Amino acid sequence: MADNYNDEIEREVAEHKILVYGKGTKDAPRCGFTLETIEFFDSFGYPFEVIDVLENQAKRDALSQMTNWPTLPKVFINGTFYGDTDILGAMAESGELQTTLQDAFGGTALPTKQTINLR
Amino acid sequence: MIAGTALQALIRTQLPDADVGIVDRTGTMDHFNLTIRSRAFKGKTLLEQHRLVYGALEEALRDGRVHAVELKTIVAES
Repeated sequence: MADNYNDEIEREVAEHKILVYGKGTKDAPRCGFTLETIEFFDSFGYPFEVIDVLENQAKRDALSQMTNWPTLPKVFINGTFYGDTDILGAMAESGELQTTLQDAFGGTALPTKQTINLR
Repeated sequence: MIAGTALQALIRTQLPDADVGIVDRTGTMDHFNLTIRSRAFKGKTLLEQHRLVYGALEEALRDGRVHAVELKTIVAES
């Protein structure tokens, strides 16, 4: 049944500030859009989780019902659903995403990938 | 697989005034880049705009006529 997945999904969404439900894993993405989403978040430097739901149709149906969004990947930031990189890309262009991410991570400055401060 | 005209008609079930740009990304007529202009997007968040389009495509996505879509929505002013 779909509803026992709702609890599991709610727990996962609460556990990760950036959460991507997709096809495949971070190390072995099995869909171009999932890979694109991983690369997208890699470019921001914040930690994010990818949960593979490719083979779990019941969980995918629960997710689609919860978000009223039929496709994968599905991205949650700080517990809020943001669709996919079609939405996030536009948010990044307008700068809205950077603010959303900073708010999610408690206003810490964007960790630039090059400088690793060891303070 | 779905023909461009059928895809356009599907989108117009939800967005009757939609101007639909279709790019067949892989040559298999089931991976599309869609650019859709409609007055119905006015005042809606991007997420809501895309939900409108997915609402029109839901069946075609479920039965595989459409496998993947990359969406760009534009608010038509006039």
